[in-house]
Amino acid sequence: MGLQELCDTVCIVGVGDTKQGAVPDKTGDELAIEAARAALEDCGLKKDDIDGLFVQPSYGRQGDYLKVGLMLGLNPRVGGAVEASGATGCYMIQHAALLLNAGMAQYILLVYGTNQKTNRNRFGGALLEEHAPYGAFNPSGPFAFAFRRHMHLYGTTEEQLATIAINQRAHARLNPKAVQQTPITLNDYMSARYIVEPLRLFDYCYITDGGHAFILTTADRAADLKKPPVYIRGMGRQEAFRAYETPDLVMQSFQQEAVAKMVFDMAGCTPQDMQALYVQDAYSPAVIAALENYGFCPRGESGRWIQDGRIALGGELPLNVNGGQLSETYMVGWQNTCDAVRQLRGECGARQIKGVERLMCTYTGGLREHAGALILRS
Amino acid sequence: MPDYNKPLPVIEKWNEPYWQAAKRHEFVAQQCTACDYIHLPPGPACTNCLSPDQDWVQLSGKGTIYAYGIYHQQWHLGFADDIPYNVALIDLDEGLQIMSQVVECENDALGCGRRVEVTFDDVTPEITLPKFRLVGTKQS
Repeated sequence: MGLQELCDTVCIVGVGDTKQGAVPDKTGDELAIEAARAALEDCGLKKDDIDGLFVQPSYGRQGDYLKVGLMLGLNPRVGGAVEASGATGCYMIQHAALLLNAGMAQYILLVYGTNQKTNRNRFGGALLEEHAPYGAFNPSGPFAFAFRRHMHLYGTTEEQLATIAINQRAHARLNPKAVQQTPITLNDYMSARYIVEPLRLFDYCYITDGGHAFILTTADRAADLKKPPVYIRGMGRQEAFRAYETPDLVMQSFQQEAVAKMVFDMAGCTPQDMQALYVQDAYSPAVIAALENYGFCPRGESGRWIQDGRIALGGELPLNVNGGQLSETYMVGWQNTCDAVRQLRGECGARQIKGVERLMCTYTGGLREHAGALILRS
Repeated sequence: MPDYNKPLPVIEKWNEPYWQAAKRHEFVAQQCTACDYIHLPPGPACTNCLSPDQDWVQLSGKGTIYAYGIYHQQWHLGFADDIPYNVALIDLDEGLQIMSQVVECENDALGCGRRVEVTFDDVTPEITLPKFRLVGTKQS
């Protein structure tokens, strides 16, 4: 069986989320359970219909697969923990799609919950311990290096990068779920302090508490459920552990170009067929990398390409119309998948992309090791 | 330097020869005796052919700045007085890349593509960190 035969065979039928931002009265696991309940209500399934469970571990030893399974009161046939940081939610959807196709499960629940804001996770550690003596703390370093490299090779400017944060903040203001609602101007962006230069405060995701959950099933079963199904048209992924040996890895071209080939081959379409794009944006240079590596614009040109409203709602390629992690909420990519499903159902009110039927979500995890993508359609 | 309070490398089985060499002011990498591949960080096998037979080889210590960042945020108390400090990815002439710092210069002097050479920072009596300094002049 080839990957192309899996095209459109599995659907996301339920999405659930909780309050985002600061939720000081709830643990990460409580938020995960609350999101699971919301996803069940969203599709009309009962808890005991679920026979597959995947859990993403979260900050502070929460999101333990066994513990969350116990709290949910489930005896799933299949499941487990998946650990690929920002690509985890994407990888879980892919695992679920394969298990559903193989007949090993009928309805699979994916959950993630965190109270990393309330418990003050500053992401202050070095991702690899040999980097700590040199002060390379926080996961943003490689993204700062990547953008510095982009400036060097292609003349991209900090003012051009600013467009990503400003655009997503404008989108967030149309999204009641978004935590960041204050508009930002170019002047606000340029006046903000550097964190790891050339990246400034607004290039960083905004750490939040919250939970998200998804329910997937096969296309034939999806037809009987409450909401219109969202089909998984394409899937791709690539790991890249030989980080020190492939010099351009910091630009993520090796892994993302491999993902692009897989996902577009499976879906039988091209970047130009996409009506919207969601990039898992822990830091804004992730958008620069994705646009070029997935073929939305020529290499080196993304700084200019994103100008003049092209990636705004109503533009050629609306990008992170929820506000993304820079402005909506930081749920390691889960918030983008959730918004993508709601867009394809036409549930997004003021930020609804008119006539959207097909879109793409991309995900990055770790220093630069994990890459994945999904093409979804209504 | 009794009050050195930055994180120190965690010495374990595979990287011990690397840190012992640094203490002698030698800059080394693992080299596979089966396929000659040179690699870091140290590990139990060649990352090219998986042979367990690894030797240590002297590196030239010369390289080029691939990219760098200037850290303005304090994540660790030990770096408080250094802010803003740089962290750089160095392309070594032997074809591998390592994360380090460029010292003995202002951050403004850094640039992608600038040539560097290794220098040794004896941070404690036991630990020496290989770092880099600029060589030549800025071209653009």
